[in-house]
Amino acid sequence: MSELADPRPVGAGRRAQQPGFRVLVVDDDPDMCAFLAHLLRQEGMTVQTAGDGHATLVQVMSSPPDLILLDVMMPGRNGFEVCRELKSDEATALIPIVLITTLDDQASRVRGIEAGADDFLSKPVNREELIARVNTLRRLHETRRELEGRRLAAEIDRKETIRRAFSRYVAPRLADRIIHSLGDKGELFEGRAQRIDVVALFADLRGFTRLTERVEVGEVVEMLNEYFTVLTEAAYHHDGTIFNMAGDSLLVGFNVPFVQHDAPIRAWRTAQEMVSRFAPTAAVWQRRTGFVTGVGIGICMGEAIIGNIGSPHYMSYTVIGNPVNVAARLMQMAATDEVLICGPLYEHLKDLLPAGGVQARGDVTLRGRSEPIPVYSVKISSAVG
Amino acid sequence: MPEYVVTVAKDLEDLIPVFFRNRQKEVEALRAALTASDFEQLRQLGHRMKGVGNSYGFAQVSTLGKQVEDAAKTADRVAIDACIAEYAEYLANVKVVYE
Repeated sequence: MSELADPRPVGAGRRAQQPGFRVLVVDDDPDMCAFLAHLLRQEGMTVQTAGDGHATLVQVMSSPPDLILLDVMMPGRNGFEVCRELKSDEATALIPIVLITTLDDQASRVRGIEAGADDFLSKPVNREELIARVNTLRRLHETRRELEGRRLAAEIDRKETIRRAFSRYVAPRLADRIIHSLGDKGELFEGRAQRIDVVALFADLRGFTRLTERVEVGEVVEMLNEYFTVLTEAAYHHDGTIFNMAGDSLLVGFNVPFVQHDAPIRAWRTAQEMVSRFAPTAAVWQRRTGFVTGVGIGICMGEAIIGNIGSPHYMSYTVIGNPVNVAARLMQMAATDEVLICGPLYEHLKDLLPAGGVQARGDVTLRGRSEPIPVYSVKISSAVG
Repeated sequence: MPEYVVTVAKDLEDLIPVFFRNRQKEVEALRAALTASDFEQLRQLGHRMKGVGNSYGFAQVSTLGKQVEDAAKTADRVAIDACIAEYAEYLANVKVVYE
């Protein structure tokens, strides 16, 4: 296996075309190799040579050429065997192969077709015929490469569009994982609804209703956008999935759509970050309007139903079930900068929560529920200097 | 001795010295194979001569190669011996003109 040096200076007599078009010439006769390589280099192609079947396979695997000129009669693995092996391998099947046979050997051509050869050349090799056949295959190769490039670019564009769209609903890192897991048919979100353990976090803006009575409608929208931006960034920072944004409340899920073994911790960190991130905004609003605002949060964990819920005309990727309902009730009960946590979640977080910062509310019967549940309160400091 | 004149494309000039060295080696290989009665080797050598000769413009090499290949298939020692002699004589007297 070698790359034959072209003794001729670059320029004179050489056509400056086919840059990068690489041809592997395979023949056990070094004079035939040299002859074919010489003619192809005159056409501006890059030529490598191999003297037997084994060297050919090694060469193709390590540096796939754009075209292979393959002699049939070789010691060891002959051209048919090499051709068949390359054509049966997905990685090399598309490399065009020109089998070189003797002029009177019709049987070889039939065997060559069966082995998957793309074209044939006869020995003795006629240089015009060689160049014409190689150039035809080169044009086909370039057209195929261009089409493949366009297809890949379109696919990348499509995935990027989907990613941008998803990124508005789930954390960007989750969006990337979803895109990578998508087949061409988008199976991930076509599946049936399923029951899984989730951690549901509901956050709500405290004091906002009174505040809206004092400011213009346009300003309310801007303020809500500020608020949701802060909360969304906190949720995405911990890879939460935003399921719902209504009024001034936000529903974030963890352990969905992908497993997060530390989902309770992520939810707690998100709650902390929501409060601390929103504090500077609340301080600005207070200076401007005189009203105190803050975030009230409820978090609960348990089994819920996840999936696409709706009609054939409108679907929503939704989480429903007990932990969502409880988190919503806890949020309603939470004061400004307070996080209310259900009992099962507290058991996961108790070593993490600030010592002395947790207050057990006892068993609480939430509105709309018959059984009381243990509730814990954590007050988060949002002091802004 | 007759002189054989072969016209070869000018751009192949750099390749011709190596081509002739390999042809001389080929004569030796043919003789060795005939001595060993290795007719499969003789067939392969004849096949190679047939392919490479005309590609470079040396039709006689291809012609002799085909004769060797055919004779090897029938183990015709006399015919092969004559071909080898003719091949050696041809190589000794061929003159190349580059155009």
